[in-house]
Amino acid sequence: MIRSLGADLMAISPELPDNTLTMAEKHAIPIDILSDATSEVLKKYRLWFAVPGEIKALYLEKFGLNLEKYNGAGRWELPVPATYVLDRDGIVRAGEADPDYTVRMEPAEVVASIRNIVGGL
Amino acid sequence: MGLKEELADFDASRNRPPEVKAIIRRGIDHVRGSGAAGLRIGERAPDFALPNQRGERVRLSERLSRGPVVLNFYRGVW
Repeated sequence: MIRSLGADLMAISPELPDNTLTMAEKHAIPIDILSDATSEVLKKYRLWFAVPGEIKALYLEKFGLNLEKYNGAGRWELPVPATYVLDRDGIVRAGEADPDYTVRMEPAEVVASIRNIVGGL
Repeated sequence: MGLKEELADFDASRNRPPEVKAIIRRGIDHVRGSGAAGLRIGERAPDFALPNQRGERVRLSERLSRGPVVLNFYRGVW
């Protein structure tokens, strides 16, 4: 839906490039999955945070999740989950960022915002 | 049902013990207090160039020259 309206979709995480996918699988993914391996972009967008010690212990001990396996050595850091709709000038026209990772922007709002941008051309 | 409701239902279905929920809640509050609030509506998004899943460098400003862009920041595949 997003692409059919002429918009591009990019997903950004601090993870290192995924080596578990084959080249064919990588080509089959219709969006760009971007790797911010230095967290430079997360910081520019004011979304970066260091995982608090208590959460790190919970992930390691209770969830068996070691972020270093995905992000690289010493990188216990994450983005606040966020979605931004940018118009062609790069201006944020709609968006949401919430440290509560169970809260996400409604896809219908994303589509409505793109419609608004495209319709206003 | 919207995504927000679906996620709320999913979170409730996990039935995490109260002590785990409390740790997660404190972590979220900590991040909220850290000032990592993201971009504001009306602000210009900083340009960047990052590698995609095929190792190609993707530049935001180049993509914007073709049309609107939706950026989604996510924590990881885990």
